[in-house]
Amino acid sequence: MALVEIEGLEIRYRTEAGDARAVDGVSLSIEGGQYLGLVGESGCGKSTIAKAILGILPPAGRIEAGAIRYAGRDLVGLPPAELRRLRWRDIALVPQSAMNGFDPVYTIERQMTEAIIAHRRMPRAERRQRIEALFEMVGLERSRIKDYPHQFSGGMRQRAMIAMALVLDPDFIVADEPTTGLDVIVQDQILHRIRTIHDATDKAMLLITHDMAVVSENCDRIAVMYAGRIMEYGGASVFEAPYHPYTLGLCNAFPNLADRDRPLISIPGAPPDLVAPPAGCRFHARCPFATTRCTTEVPELLEVAPGHVVACHYVDRAEEFRARAADPATWGGPCASGSQVLPSRHRTANRDIT
Amino acid sequence: MTMTGAYVSGFSRTLRALGTIRRYPSGTASLIVVLAFIILGIVGPTVAPHGPFDVLYNQDRSVLRLSPPTWRAWFGTTNQGMDVASQLIWGTRVALLVGLLSALGSVVIGTLVGLVAGYFGGWTDEILMRLTDVAFGIPFLPFAMVVISIARPSIGLVILLVICFLWRTTARVIRAQVLTLRSRPFIWAARAAGAGHLHVLFRHITPNVLPLSFLYMAVGVQAGVMLEAALSFLGFGDPNVMSWGIMLNAAFAAGAMRSAWWWVLPPGLALSLFVISIFMITRAYEELLDPRLRAV
Amino acid sequence: MGRYIARRLLLLVLVIWCILTILFALFHLLPGDPTSIFVDNNFSVEMIQRQKRLWGLTDPLWLQYLHYIRNMAFFRFGDSFFQDQPVATILVDRTANTCLMIVPALIVSVALGTVLGALAGWRRASRFEQTTVTVSLFLHSAPSFFVGILALMVFSYDLRWLPPGGMVSLGGPQGFWAVLGSRDYLQHLILPALVLVSREITGPILLLRSSMLEVKSSDFIDILRAKGLRERHILTHATRNALLPLVTYIAVMTSTLFQGQVLLEIIFAWPGIGRELVTALGDLDYPVAQGALYIMALVTLTMNFGADLLYGLIDPRSST
Repeated sequence: MALVEIEGLEIRYRTEAGDARAVDGVSLSIEGGQYLGLVGESGCGKSTIAKAILGILPPAGRIEAGAIRYAGRDLVGLPPAELRRLRWRDIALVPQSAMNGFDPVYTIERQMTEAIIAHRRMPRAERRQRIEALFEMVGLERSRIKDYPHQFSGGMRQRAMIAMALVLDPDFIVADEPTTGLDVIVQDQILHRIRTIHDATDKAMLLITHDMAVVSENCDRIAVMYAGRIMEYGGASVFEAPYHPYTLGLCNAFPNLADRDRPLISIPGAPPDLVAPPAGCRFHARCPFATTRCTTEVPELLEVAPGHVVACHYVDRAEEFRARAADPATWGGPCASGSQVLPSRHRTANRDIT
Repeated sequence: MTMTGAYVSGFSRTLRALGTIRRYPSGTASLIVVLAFIILGIVGPTVAPHGPFDVLYNQDRSVLRLSPPTWRAWFGTTNQGMDVASQLIWGTRVALLVGLLSALGSVVIGTLVGLVAGYFGGWTDEILMRLTDVAFGIPFLPFAMVVISIARPSIGLVILLVICFLWRTTARVIRAQVLTLRSRPFIWAARAAGAGHLHVLFRHITPNVLPLSFLYMAVGVQAGVMLEAALSFLGFGDPNVMSWGIMLNAAFAAGAMRSAWWWVLPPGLALSLFVISIFMITRAYEELLDPRLRAV
Repeated sequence: MGRYIARRLLLLVLVIWCILTILFALFHLLPGDPTSIFVDNNFSVEMIQRQKRLWGLTDPLWLQYLHYIRNMAFFRFGDSFFQDQPVATILVDRTANTCLMIVPALIVSVALGTVLGALAGWRRASRFEQTTVTVSLFLHSAPSFFVGILALMVFSYDLRWLPPGGMVSLGGPQGFWAVLGSRDYLQHLILPALVLVSREITGPILLLRSSMLEVKSSDFIDILRAKGLRERHILTHATRNALLPLVTYIAVMTSTLFQGQVLLEIIFAWPGIGRELVTALGDLDYPVAQGALYIMALVTLTMNFGADLLYGLIDPRSST
């Protein structure tokens, strides 16, 4: 049995226009020691899944259906007291915004200490030792544990955040876009650090990002999400030999080390309105290969290879799709307007170098 | 074209906000109350049965002192036989006048100071802001009392003092707003296009701080009315002008709190109603201008 | 931080000097001879001259100004025209009395207001929040002196539950400490203090509520929850953050309270500094009036100064 099993998860947000189906029937599973990357454009519901796992959905959000099982126990509907005991001890979070993830009026040490105290009995000296050891592990100076968050740079704060996530030695860590707002070099350092920790400790991890390249470099398994649904889900084959046109589009939008001359192509158009999602495949409006079938019939997840599933009606045309997707003309030209998948990471990279 | 665009957007935003105040439940009621006071203030003297200082007499030619409410004097009479209802109506006009003039004066001064300080910065800013600091250090009520007792109490002086007291807040807020505006692209775009300082200041920046000025206008009306009432209550009001504060002062001095509730309640309630209503409108308007602003 | 304090201190001195100069101008440059206001027609010219010399009014204006600044700087206010006491003695006594009214009210307002405001912000959109905010808005904007009059009418004159004014009964305790410890004082305090609290408490309530709403949506609150802390513990974190603006507010509140309580002191016949100022102005006792105004301005300024410093101390972010 997998350590984390998400099954048929449906999450809705109350908005003025009606309920938005932020997550619509998502199933994922993460084995102990596995590193899963969840990738998709902003607003596709990937961060919502992270929040749901930790039980910190905003007041407007609610879990409509489905289960989030951790070690066999369903976290949805778990009594608050039991959920509280599970938090951080078993599941920790490296949040999107390390900038604001720490309480500004307490020292970092104090904030790490309170997580320990909330779950374990540990002598003061041992607590101090543990925090110092973790600081060293993430590459921060021991002496700085008594600093306030504002005394750290963005990258240091994110390292401290990683240290805090490890403070109770949890079995599962969710990293929700952990490199947002950091400059490129620091981004790589942080991701590398997380990767090293994963390799050293064999914890199960979920990395949420919009960057296909990050996932391909770091993760064992990949789930591609679009407009609240899983489009493609599997191992390394997901980006080595993608089936879904959306995955193809995402891969196009980020540079590939193996093929430096390939032009970057972004997917034209914008994600659909989740209050009134389109019928059929959610991607059909932006898909260059869509047929009338795609506008009416919802594609099921089909297994194309062991452990590799795709939600597309035309998995058998994957070869043809791959060939055509490499041509910018398929996507309406190399500089398609209204691009939503911004390869921001690498754009910043270029600017920094020049 | 862009400048009229900015001007219209600033102005129409204000109008739109005023229009949507109705959506706030307390906003509607407050608008009605304030409107009623305005109408009363305008037509008041023609409907008031008596002048503010007219003395009513009994049939036996004795003064009608401290009469409880009757058909003849709806709210009763004072210890000098004056009609409370008439005084209240005349007082409404004074309250509106004081509120409007002090608000107008303080907002004009405050906005100008804020605009100039924020836009030009440097020494201009330093001097104007230190001036504002001095103004903030002056305890208003005691200061006004001293000035009035040295000079002679008059409604004009009261309004002047209220203006001296109110401009400082407006100046600070407007300055802060100008500072954020100054760094916006459309301002340096206008400068780059060769627009002069005065042009940028009055054509591009001013329209954008006007909504805020209007807000402080409303705040000023409330504060002006309240401060005039307080000063008059303490005996520093203009004795020749009948205001709610003067009424309360006379009632308090005559010990009407023990014996003649009908003399104390009308001016007190009118003042409270007016001031609270303006405050509620201010608040609704403030939230409309900036939904994040849910502060005091 | 040191430079900041020095700068603020310099500014404080500058503002005090400006205010002193304004006061000097008010009392000396206005048309009319200050002596003529209190000197009786029966005084001989000689007596008037002697009195003028005594107060240095025969000196050139610039010398008068220098003397005045020096005297004010050392709190030498001279003697009262009518009460046979130095002005400083009178003012110290009256200021203490004012504190006897506003300090208890301030403590209750801040303590209770903080709790109510924090809870209101934490439980957004609850009936508790709506009631608290609505009532606060009304009390905040209502003219407090009319509230005081109403309270007096109802509780003292009509129901006769509480004394109708004064700080102690006639023949009651004398002296600061004796008054402070007496039951008589407490009985006289209840009504004015309640009226003060009814308005002053609205500040902390509305402020805490709105800053709580802001803090509540911060990311770190989510992290605290994800860390498995108890709700009570998270509320403590949130309140501590939401308290930052309150520190400044309390200082500002104290200064407005100090100058605004003139009205309540008159209504409740409380022998404080505000009432002393009104009486002095009525009696044309200018040394007392001038001193009282100076003290009030000083309190206002020190409180504003304190607000700036305290904010620097309590928020770790502002110290670097």
